Amino acid sequence: MAGLVGIVLVSHSARLAEGAADLAAQVAGGTVTVLAAGGTDDGGLGTSAAKIADALRRADSGGGVLVLPDLGSAVLTVRVLLEDLDDASVALVDAPFVEGAVAATVTAAAGADLKAVAAAAREAWHARKL
Amino acid sequence: MPASSESITLEGDLHARPAGALAVAAGRFAATVSVTAGARTVDAKSVLGVMGLGATSGQRVTVTADGPDAEEAVATLIAILGDATRVGG
Repeated sequence: MAGLVGIVLVSHSARLAEGAADLAAQVAGGTVTVLAAGGTDDGGLGTSAAKIADALRRADSGGGVLVLPDLGSAVLTVRVLLEDLDDASVALVDAPFVEGAVAATVTAAAGADLKAVAAAAREAWHARKL
Repeated sequence: MPASSESITLEGDLHARPAGALAVAAGRFAATVSVTAGARTVDAKSVLGVMGLGATSGQRVTVTADGPDAEEAVATLIAILGDATRVGG
């Protein structure tokens, strides 16, 4: 059986990505690899193709990788990278950052495949907090 | 298909980590599993749904499952609700 789906959180802020990754991993019980790819290479606000590429490599344990961007402009960096990779085991998903990360990670922890994990992240659009 | 249902009174609030543990466990079963607290019923496999229940200490919560492994699913989730809500988090 393939490994659990890995999660990569791409944020303009390293601390935002790390915090969200920590939260999602802990809520899901710590079995899923959730990696943060936040900020530029020199530690500023922005995105880094090198950081994202590195996280994608490390997050894949055979079950594929789900990538969640925080804001639309992070999508550009991820898209360029995915075009170069041409890898069907990586899926970019449009979902609320925190809720999507938590929902995706919990679903991955239950052993779901990449398609189901991506669907769980997208369902987060409809989850009400109040 | 066999259906199963059981209730428990929470000994603590249903916070993020117990909700996560519940949804991870529910996701491993083939049966459809739901959790009801008060007037709201959500898919137990949806962590955001379970968190959105806002279930608190002292509240009666019901787990219902329908499918081949329904009975085991209900027993597992009731046990998690009993353990996890005592710990909090």
